[in-house]
Amino acid sequence: MEALNRAYRKVELFFGNLKFAVSIITIFAVFLGYGTFMESYHGTEYANRLIYKSFPFMLVQFCMFLSILFATLIRLPPKKHLYGFYVIHAGLIILFLGSFVTYQSGIDGNMTLAPNIGSRQIQLNQDEFKIQFPSKGKEASVELPYSAGPKEMNLEYEGIKLKTFLPFAKNDLHWIPTKIEDASQSSSHYRIYNDNFGEFFTLSLHPLSDFTNTQQLGPLNVHYMPSTLYQCFIQNTKDGLIIWNGETSECFSPNETEIKKSKNISGKTIAQIQFLGQTLSFLPEMSPLPLDHKSDLNENSPFRIFSKKLFEKSPHLFLFGKSAAFFNKEKQDWEGVPIEINGEAELPWMGFRVRLLNHHTDSYPTMTPTYIKPIQENSQVIEGDLKAVEVEVNDQTFWVRSGEPVAFNLSDEKIRFEITKKTITLPYEIVLDRFKMDTDPGTNNPASFESFVTLFKGNKGSEKHHIFMNHPLKFDSFTFYQASYFQTPQGPYGSVLSVNYDPGRPWKYLGCLFLVLGSIWHYFLRRKHLAKPGATHG
Amino acid sequence: MGKYIYLLALLISFSGWAQIDLCTSELDTYPTRSGGRVKPLYVLATETIKFISGESKIGDLSATEGFCKLSLKAFGMPLELPIKIKVEHVEAKKLLGLSDQDQGVSVTDMANKIGLVDTELAKQKENNSYKKELTKIKQRWQAYISIIEARLWTIPVSKNGKTEFISLGEFLTEDKVAIAREKSSTPVNYLFQEAKDDYLKLNGDHYLLELRYFKLNLFVWGLLISILGILCFVAFKNKWPGTILTITTIAVQVVAMTMRVMISGRAPVTNMYETVMFSGLGALVISCIITIYRKEIIFVLAGLAFNVLSLMMLKFANSMLDPGISPLVPVLRDNFWLSTHVTTVILSYAALALSWLLANGLLIRDRFFQVSSSDYRYGVDLVYTCIKFGVILLATGIILGGVWADYSWGRFWGWDPKETWSLIVLLVYMAILHGKYTSWIPPHRFVPLVAGAFMSVMMAWFGVNYILASGLHSYGFSEGGAIFLGTFFVIQIAIIALGVIGRKKIA
Repeated sequence: MEALNRAYRKVELFFGNLKFAVSIITIFAVFLGYGTFMESYHGTEYANRLIYKSFPFMLVQFCMFLSILFATLIRLPPKKHLYGFYVIHAGLIILFLGSFVTYQSGIDGNMTLAPNIGSRQIQLNQDEFKIQFPSKGKEASVELPYSAGPKEMNLEYEGIKLKTFLPFAKNDLHWIPTKIEDASQSSSHYRIYNDNFGEFFTLSLHPLSDFTNTQQLGPLNVHYMPSTLYQCFIQNTKDGLIIWNGETSECFSPNETEIKKSKNISGKTIAQIQFLGQTLSFLPEMSPLPLDHKSDLNENSPFRIFSKKLFEKSPHLFLFGKSAAFFNKEKQDWEGVPIEINGEAELPWMGFRVRLLNHHTDSYPTMTPTYIKPIQENSQVIEGDLKAVEVEVNDQTFWVRSGEPVAFNLSDEKIRFEITKKTITLPYEIVLDRFKMDTDPGTNNPASFESFVTLFKGNKGSEKHHIFMNHPLKFDSFTFYQASYFQTPQGPYGSVLSVNYDPGRPWKYLGCLFLVLGSIWHYFLRRKHLAKPGATHG
Repeated sequence: MGKYIYLLALLISFSGWAQIDLCTSELDTYPTRSGGRVKPLYVLATETIKFISGESKIGDLSATEGFCKLSLKAFGMPLELPIKIKVEHVEAKKLLGLSDQDQGVSVTDMANKIGLVDTELAKQKENNSYKKELTKIKQRWQAYISIIEARLWTIPVSKNGKTEFISLGEFLTEDKVAIAREKSSTPVNYLFQEAKDDYLKLNGDHYLLELRYFKLNLFVWGLLISILGILCFVAFKNKWPGTILTITTIAVQVVAMTMRVMISGRAPVTNMYETVMFSGLGALVISCIITIYRKEIIFVLAGLAFNVLSLMMLKFANSMLDPGISPLVPVLRDNFWLSTHVTTVILSYAALALSWLLANGLLIRDRFFQVSSSDYRYGVDLVYTCIKFGVILLATGIILGGVWADYSWGRFWGWDPKETWSLIVLLVYMAILHGKYTSWIPPHRFVPLVAGAFMSVMMAWFGVNYILASGLHSYGFSEGGAIFLGTFFVIQIAIIALGVIGRKKIA
């Protein structure tokens, strides 16, 4: 018992020491200062994950609590001149306890209300990973780690492995090797630029690539094609027709003499062309598809016909990996330019040039989530707001990104993966009847946001409520605050309510009251101060 | 084409304008609406011309006269005024072909170079000071265009017993002028007067208070009286002249602030300009209260000194502190919480500012003059008194902020940078106050620490807005100011270093 008392005395002396108080207050302040800079550069969520809701910060707060507690205990039994001090410290202890209750049992989330559609769901700030088996009607979910950096998860559920979680990520370009080299499935990375504008873009013909073979860059249309088509594009023929075998990527630019033209019964031109030993018939004014023996359009045929003339009116750039073709309006001619890797070609539009940065026939480009500290600008996270989980099923690894559910086929069974927010369901429903936004006269600046809602309380009937800034709805221990709004695709506005349940609230208010009253008592009711040197204090 | 014919017709019908000077200072009192508020044309013209050119006049013309003449360009009046678009950034000057000494670019040149600004702006990836300056130049140019297209100047029109505001371009139609010509030889003046009379009949002349507020320049008077007050306290043994001047400057500033409150309809603490304005008066009033409590005149001197500093900032730091009055964002439209939380926090900063001035004074005195041990300890006690006021007010202000946040957003605390920095300030002073009772912070360390601790106040007050600039409190954010803050930190650290290094041991 004696030893226990001695140990307690040591603990009390350590935590109740003023120097410990000064040290822990300083450490706490340093954490906070660092947190505000992190918030400024990387956004609120990052700062929360890194500092404010991290274990070290919780530990510092706990040490603050111990310091306050033992500083009080060490000064017991009560002394009259310390009454103010006791009240301040009691207030702080109550405040800490209230905050702990909120942290443990409080609910803080959002309710999104589309116009005239009821909602019971509160979306919390906690991310979760959902695995759904629609055919079995089964669903499993796991809470994602609340970390600021990448986190190894190493979880397994029915043969599905959750490997890594990236709380902040951006899609980065990665080249995945293919088993065989195939020029018809090539991919290239380019930069187009002039003195005022520049943009990087990637195009691919590979079916597994995240990139397509077309790109719109302002008024310019960019098309990516197999390199075998290049010759057909730069060959000038009167009709400008190109016939293309999609299977072999072979092409042919027939001369006028090679095309037999006739009219069908409805007066449309039929073009007959000899290509690779076959006679192909087309209705070039109607469709790129060839006709079969019944003179119907043959969708199964690998052959297509198209006219380059379609691409002469507006700017179209055709890229073939290591070469480019375009119609030069000034010369009224199709031109072709070979481009080496890191070489470039001059284009006939506003001084633009295209530079080939990368070209692969043995790999294809994909966008892979890569961890990044989010970047905040003007209070908006502009990069790194993507969350991603790396999943492995049947030795196949892929990423599931926030906002993009993934459906995966596993031996005739479909599995759906999704990163979503944790939700809780209320036993009552709220319907947004109307959302009203007033603006300052003559401007578009919002002056007020207001939600007119109906609260359906099950068997207890319904109530109309008006929620607006600083006028929340309080019901069933929850408080619903006007937080934000959004416009639906149909036009009317929807509303976002912030929903809060805080069982620690009364404690926090009580603690604050003690704190203020105690401070006044401590600092002003003890009116003891030094007299001016040379004067009589009285 | 139709528009040009219309403008040409107007030009012909207004040919009398060359003789009749429409653009006189009489227009100062005409009501107009801008940024969601009705204000005298004088205020709109002065604010806009200052924003565009950085000057409050255009050549010899007052802002209103110049604004009016520029607006008439929309009707084909061939006027060339010597107005320039303000350019501050060195890189932007280079882009626009200006020398380092040039303060702005002529509007004729700007018309040719605005495409260049747009292109340069599109090239900027980082949100740096150059990009911000280019954006500002573009905004200044757009403001100029909105004047010369007669869009910015709005005129009240009565419709079904209600007042609506339409742009000058829409207001001055050929038909209207033709009808007015039958009633008056100066039809445009007649139409303006009629619009003003109709507005006054329906809405009264409350908006004219703003004209009086800006023209009276009461804060400049407050500044002069405060300086005189300091001189009187220093020069005369008799404290009455200084006391009378102190009471006078308080009265003048209270009148100015009351006028501002009546104009805006809210507590005068909603942007950086107003917090600086309120802090100066707050520090002076707190110093008077402490003087009564401690019977020590040095507090009033510190209060006057801080008041002078804040009033000088209001007068000379307009690029950092915008004196304009704008409507509030929705969340601030609750006067009770705004009046209590923000004013309490600003008052706490004011009290801590007094401790900062006294600490710096003691630091310098101790370094360069002979200060006895008892004098030093007495000085420390005076500093401590100010901190006590500051800490209690700050704790109360933070708690009131928490209550407001709980009431408005449903959470007591959200780690928003502004509220976090106010907590850091409290923690910094609490660490010093706790440390004062340990061997770590004896009096000779207490003084430089208090002087330095005010940097945390400046960070919470200005740094969050000018350096961190994010979070829920972003409504109060202003551009620039980082240089001001950096300079303050450097000077303060230099004073502390000077005071600490080579300090004589107290006898």
